[in-house]
Amino acid sequence: MSFVLELRKVKRTGFLPAFLSGGILAAAVPALNMAFRSEMYVGMNAAPVNILLDANWQMMSMLNILLVVAGACILYNTEYADNAIQRMCTLPTKESTMFFGKTAVLITVSILLLMIEAVSVFGCSIHWFEESADLYMETLKNFGFFLMLMLPTILFSLVIASVSKNMWISLGIGVVCVFVATMIPSQNFVLTLFPFALPFLTLESHTADVIRNYTVAGAVETVLIALLEVMILKVRRSFE
Amino acid sequence: MNIIETKNLTKTYGGFAAVSGLNLHVPKGTVYGFLGPNGAGKSTTMKMFLGLTKPSGGSFVIDGKHFPGDRAQILKEIGSFIEAPAFYGNLTGEENLDIVRKILGLPKASVSEALEIVGLTQHRKRLARKYSLGMKQRLGLASALIGKPPILILDEPTNGLDPVGIHEIRTLIRSLPQQFVCTVLVSSHLLSEIELMADNIGILNHGRLLFEGTLDTLKRNAAAQGYPTDNLEDTFLALIDADNQQRGGAR
Amino acid sequence: MNILSLVPVEWKKIRRSKIFFILVLATVILWIPSILNADFNFGMQAEGISPENNFFIQGFMAMAWFIFPATMVVITVLQNQTERSNHGILKMLALPVSTAKLCMAKFIVLVSFSAIQFLMSIGMYYVSAMIAGSMQNYNFMLPPFFIFKEVGMMWASAIPMLAFFWLLAVCIQTPIFSIGIGLTSVVPSVLMINTKVWFAYPMAYPFFVITSEYGKLATNLEMDQVELIPWLPVAALITVVCLMISCIRFGQAERR
Repeated sequence: MSFVLELRKVKRTGFLPAFLSGGILAAAVPALNMAFRSEMYVGMNAAPVNILLDANWQMMSMLNILLVVAGACILYNTEYADNAIQRMCTLPTKESTMFFGKTAVLITVSILLLMIEAVSVFGCSIHWFEESADLYMETLKNFGFFLMLMLPTILFSLVIASVSKNMWISLGIGVVCVFVATMIPSQNFVLTLFPFALPFLTLESHTADVIRNYTVAGAVETVLIALLEVMILKVRRSFE
Repeated sequence: MNIIETKNLTKTYGGFAAVSGLNLHVPKGTVYGFLGPNGAGKSTTMKMFLGLTKPSGGSFVIDGKHFPGDRAQILKEIGSFIEAPAFYGNLTGEENLDIVRKILGLPKASVSEALEIVGLTQHRKRLARKYSLGMKQRLGLASALIGKPPILILDEPTNGLDPVGIHEIRTLIRSLPQQFVCTVLVSSHLLSEIELMADNIGILNHGRLLFEGTLDTLKRNAAAQGYPTDNLEDTFLALIDADNQQRGGAR
Repeated sequence: MNILSLVPVEWKKIRRSKIFFILVLATVILWIPSILNADFNFGMQAEGISPENNFFIQGFMAMAWFIFPATMVVITVLQNQTERSNHGILKMLALPVSTAKLCMAKFIVLVSFSAIQFLMSIGMYYVSAMIAGSMQNYNFMLPPFFIFKEVGMMWASAIPMLAFFWLLAVCIQTPIFSIGIGLTSVVPSVLMINTKVWFAYPMAYPFFVITSEYGKLATNLEMDQVELIPWLPVAALITVVCLMISCIRFGQAERR
């Protein structure tokens, strides 16, 4: 119900086209990379999906995070720009319901985003590498992991967007966070738990144990950030 | 002598004619009241004079100069105030005027002079964003008056002002031709307001000019056509209504 | 009214717009990791680069790759927002000044902001080299002449990129999209600098220049070197085309 409402609110804001074109752009990265210099990768001794992700995921995930940050800003800007939120707050609904409605929207479009990218990685594997039986499973496993680790990023961007009425401040904080995340060394477990750093990780770069830890940590973070938002809303209400 | 003259001036947006076949004559050194209901095409006409929008047909001459060839020359002679006041929210009232002053190449003193005229002197150091609606309106007027231009184009300058402010601005506009030796083109949707300021009036409805001339001529014409004349507001309403009827009842 | 006398006017317009705050913030954030990770600079034997050179080059590489283009994107949009948010642009259009000149004056202000950011980065570089030096008991400072030469080259190579960002900010009315497209256009520069056609992608210029300097300083690394042909003509063409379109488009949306 609130999902449909929130989806309707982003009409004509360019939200969906942004994610579609962003997804196509990110999907073009591995294809272009292979088209320009496939000789660098074809001879490598690893599963094709892993070679492709190792070479391109850094850039693709960065595009994804930037899109999520911008998307979160658009979602909340429709509320703040002409003070629609004031009206929403005077209706018999909770602000947190709105937040989770927006979360659902952002997760949905992120899945769309990852799907476009998965198709591209899958296509590149078939086109430039020999076909292997478990290609399907490999792609699915990897992108499932990416989605899992993107959840904290999605929620955290929405928290940032909901806190400031000025979209520029939220966007600025978001961009700075993305930049900080790119500076974090990927082998440091504690630092990579920073919500904006998680989506950069790939399955192949860590052992099964560490991957399991990351999956658990991602889930825990998601819940914690959701609780944080609920608290922020409560505190803000009591001050207004 | 007419300082502004238009010839079949027309502006269409898509299929909709905002202004059609307009022939205006604004005599030099007078206050010309431009009257019409909301959406009659007053702002569009004024925007065309300032080059903010291109005419779709016809032409106009301002002080013997043509658009778009003499754009810079025309704009040098016009002080303007269009629709919602336009300013930089992050600057103070004084800084806003200073920017306009520099572009017009006026002496420094003209800023304080303009502030004084509109009564903003004591608020000059405040951010324009934090001004009240009335103060924003005054700031817009000040940026039109700065440097005493020979032509002033003012679009609904009393919008959003309180009764005292309205009275002040009216008195100011009334006194401008003698004070600055200038021509004023001022628009409003209230005849009662125009009546107190203007020497000549032009009445616009649905982009067409219904009447142009002095107030006395308007009264005489109205009486001849059987419209009420004891209250000018009624005259205006009857005139607009008759025009709407003639257009097939469509508003 | 010539362009040079319009530039101070444009400077005045961006007062209190928090642009300087953004510049300072970006510069400080850039150098903090460099100070914290200063000990990494001693483990670069494989690349064959001295610790002080590495400290300098890594910091400026991080700047050229993302934080510098990102701040510039944000600044272009902020510059335009000051005009649009309260219809300031309408007042400008009704004044006897050519829109192309206004547009160019704003671009000059943007270019000077980029210069300011580089100067601030040099300042922060020396501050962080001092802090890191006292932490590691090592002299990270490089002679100013060398630093200014390197940074000057990066700055000059950034001008076509600025022209492109300016084009985005002028032509795309919805600010979030001009920022979004600007930021996403920065990301592929990592890919572009490794291709033969890097000179066709202005967002990659500063990053390419600094990585090729890295290649020069690190004896064991082979990096593509700057070749002025066809780079210079292409860069000049991109700059001129971007600026021409922006000057034509500037203020058009408000003049329909």
